[in-house]
Amino acid sequence: MKRVVVDPVTRIEGHLRVEIKVDEATGKVQDALSSGTAWRGIELIMKDRDPRDAWAFVQRICGVCTTVHALGSLRAVEDALKIEIPKNANYIRNIMSATQTAQDHLVHFYHLHALDWVSPVEALKADPSATAVLQNIVLEKYRLPFAGPMNFDFDAYPKDFPKATTLYFKTVQEKVKKVVESGQLGIFAAQWWDHPDYAILSPEVHLMAVAHYLNMLDRQRELLGAHVIFGGKNPHPHYIVGGMPCSISMNDMNASVNSERLAVVDTSISLAINLINYFYLPDLLAIGHRYVQKGYVDGGGLAKERVLGFGDFPDEPYTGISNGDFHKKLLLRCNGVVEDFGKGVDSAIYYDIDEKNLVDPAVLNEGVEHSWYTYPENGADIHPWDGVTNPEYTGPKEGSKVQWKFLNEEGKYSWIKTPKWRGKMAEVGPLARYIIIYTKVKKGLIEPTWAEKMVVDQLEAVSKVFKLAPEVWLPTMVGRTAARGLDAQLNAYINKYYFDKLVKNIRNGDTAVANTAKWDPATWPKDAKGVGLLEAPRGALSHWVVIKDGKIVYYQAVVPTTWNACPRDSKAGYGAYEAGMMDTKVKITDKPLEVLKVIHSFDPCSACATHLYDAEGKELSIVHTDPYFKD
Amino acid sequence: MKNRDSLWSLFQKREMSRRSFLKACVTITGMLGMSVTMLPEVIEAAEKNALPVVIWLHGHECTGCDESFIRSQSPLVSDVIFNMVALEYSDTLSAAAGEPFEQHLEEVMEQYDGQYILAVEGGVPLAQDGIHCMVGGRPFVTVLKEAAKGAAAIIEYGSCAAWGGIQAAKPNPTKSVSVSDVISGKPLIKVPGCPPVPEVMTGVVMHYALFGQIPPLDSEGRPKQFFGNRIHDTCYRRPFFDAGMFVEKFDDAGAKAGWCLYKVGCRGPEAYNSCGNMRWWNGLSYPIQSGHGCIGCSSKNFWDNDSFYQRLPNIPVPDAIADADKIGVIATGAAIAGVAAHGALSVVQKHKRTVKAQEDNARRLQS
Repeated sequence: MKRVVVDPVTRIEGHLRVEIKVDEATGKVQDALSSGTAWRGIELIMKDRDPRDAWAFVQRICGVCTTVHALGSLRAVEDALKIEIPKNANYIRNIMSATQTAQDHLVHFYHLHALDWVSPVEALKADPSATAVLQNIVLEKYRLPFAGPMNFDFDAYPKDFPKATTLYFKTVQEKVKKVVESGQLGIFAAQWWDHPDYAILSPEVHLMAVAHYLNMLDRQRELLGAHVIFGGKNPHPHYIVGGMPCSISMNDMNASVNSERLAVVDTSISLAINLINYFYLPDLLAIGHRYVQKGYVDGGGLAKERVLGFGDFPDEPYTGISNGDFHKKLLLRCNGVVEDFGKGVDSAIYYDIDEKNLVDPAVLNEGVEHSWYTYPENGADIHPWDGVTNPEYTGPKEGSKVQWKFLNEEGKYSWIKTPKWRGKMAEVGPLARYIIIYTKVKKGLIEPTWAEKMVVDQLEAVSKVFKLAPEVWLPTMVGRTAARGLDAQLNAYINKYYFDKLVKNIRNGDTAVANTAKWDPATWPKDAKGVGLLEAPRGALSHWVVIKDGKIVYYQAVVPTTWNACPRDSKAGYGAYEAGMMDTKVKITDKPLEVLKVIHSFDPCSACATHLYDAEGKELSIVHTDPYFKD
Repeated sequence: MKNRDSLWSLFQKREMSRRSFLKACVTITGMLGMSVTMLPEVIEAAEKNALPVVIWLHGHECTGCDESFIRSQSPLVSDVIFNMVALEYSDTLSAAAGEPFEQHLEEVMEQYDGQYILAVEGGVPLAQDGIHCMVGGRPFVTVLKEAAKGAAAIIEYGSCAAWGGIQAAKPNPTKSVSVSDVISGKPLIKVPGCPPVPEVMTGVVMHYALFGQIPPLDSEGRPKQFFGNRIHDTCYRRPFFDAGMFVEKFDDAGAKAGWCLYKVGCRGPEAYNSCGNMRWWNGLSYPIQSGHGCIGCSSKNFWDNDSFYQRLPNIPVPDAIADADKIGVIATGAAIAGVAAHGALSVVQKHKRTVKAQEDNARRLQS
């Protein structure tokens, strides 16, 4: 049995460490731990702030899924203060969110995940003319030609097709060769390029993918037009409580939004659709198909057992989340839990999550058994609205507190807490969304919206390509990566859908983007609390706020990566990362590329997960309760 | 690893013409905001200087600066990381992970001792020996100090590295500080912003790549070419401020007409940054253009000033819509006087806040 550490886990957001125990004879991972190794304290910093400022503060939880925390926060504050936002603001926020998801997934696939599958060294062996031929085959075979719900289609023809010429691939190959020959590998240095997994794909696939890696590095920025027009910049676009700051006018030449600027957004949305349809999905399915053909249907872990979602995209403005109106108006009703999808959709069990469950301490809560915190009552988990902070850093099992060798899986080992649904672990993310919608539609629990129907169609199309049932290929490492690609396509079309709604509404004469009736804190109730829900690119996100006398007294965010990257629990078992790693075979113990692949398939965003948990109205006492406190 | 290339030798290797090389130099000169008379120096530098090795570390941060960096249009980020610098260590972009990655860092630090640029994104938590941010099983502050030793220059990229950032906002639970609070004796360049405009960062890197020295800095340690103006000085809504035409509340008629946002909260009059002149996404927009006031994200401790929607105190505001004809007659003189008076006031105000921030800091460290 060998214990292997990967720290830092790179090509992610934030600071993450994993440790595995591998049986060297069989390559079986016997145990695995995942540790969030940083902790910033943003929620504590929220205390006594103006709730109208909260979006800007909590947005800085993450600059990768930038915008999602701002949106979660706005929803929570508006839920607390009972503010209904105008139609245009609702459409624009949906556009901001869908833009984020489509762009973020694309960047994840090419720039944060691809180098686990694709090697620039292998690409040097490729025949450029054979690569051009392959490119055409891939485009024909692996495209998912869904038309989407277009009302206003200003795109005359797809503007961006992958180049399929010998010269193009030769030029890229030459470029890569010069980098390799220079000896200065830069970002390509020190990876396990000699790992046998890189031989699963042909050199031509490697060259094609490396070419697209470079191409998409330059193109990804162009997908963010909506953030820059409606929010002024990216990362971290701007918002206001009650709507959006970007006034719309077809009369005033200095207006933030006019016809010309809407055209910029439209171009950007169309580009995303094209890049996903003609680059991302064909590349993804070509690589994924090869992997499942080779029998790589591992790395699913917890996904087979339990997934969770909160639902998203309110189609029209709603009056609140905690009053249940939000869930009545969703385009994507993945609010719920599915258990045992690994046994097939017929055996899978579905549980609803509605507004009553959200605020029920028996349904949602967090534990700290293996996290560097203590709770007042040992072993009793706590609902996010009543969280308590008592950090207690206990150091590693081997090594010193500032020089770790191995962390202590029997004790505390992470800055991430362990969130639970009815005392159980659950995976969240695109994979969870897809499993939940698919199950609900297949079991006849909902009459699908166009978006939900698309989810089912996508899954059936991929199952046909892979020649495998959804329960075989979907809850796996490949499936998690594939679901993200499908989710990118879905969000690109959702983006277009809300853009069309926005244009139609403006055409009908409605230009309002903000409801400022309750802008003045004097109009607020003395005490208020609210919850904000969102399906972020990485999964189910909830923000929780308590307001008193116009100030925030308590703020909490339970983020997707907290669900997935959390440490184990003696009653609930392993979190999704840990279960995923244990469901993976490792060929060379010192080079656990497979484990890196599984972790990357979740698209970790660990600064999100390692935020601070505060007690309502409590004096900040965290530093002083720590046994290591010296200052 | 072999010898590093200069920009010119790289062009030669790629069989690109002298003409295209000179054209690139012209572009670079323009991009750095230098006059054409500087062109010969740019060409000379590009011919001789080797591509700088860059090590990019992540402390207490949200990776927003990285994301901003990869949105750079001129130059495109692919050109920066594959042509202009050798980015040898980056948590976000590098392929490798774990031990081989950390070993690579050691090798690079040894081989390029005294020559590499260290870019740091994120604040440095100091409470409890820095255990609130561990990298490779060691506190970030330890890794930072080691990497800083052999650096030729250090870039504090973003407001977290430059000022401590959001985690250093009250009550600063992890005692997070800026890079220059723990590192000294090296050329340090502050590139604040939450995040900075991408082209500001790539511009700073280019300056070093070309001239082998850090760009001219202001008294706060920021490159003058990017932080020489307040947002207010170059704001396209400035004429409305001068004319007394204000948005009174969000989405009113003034908001639709693009009037000044000062009264609904705008820190443009005291924020030094490039948003007004360079804007984001290749000049497309910036927060003020999209209808929200500037939150002053490049300013020190901007989180701990009043709510973003409080108007700045002590700035004299014309309270009535001025006569446009009159404004026209006295245009130039008035504008200059306005800038001067404004500048003086914001200095006073800034001083007040600095004193307050120092006091707060002292209090925090004592507690």
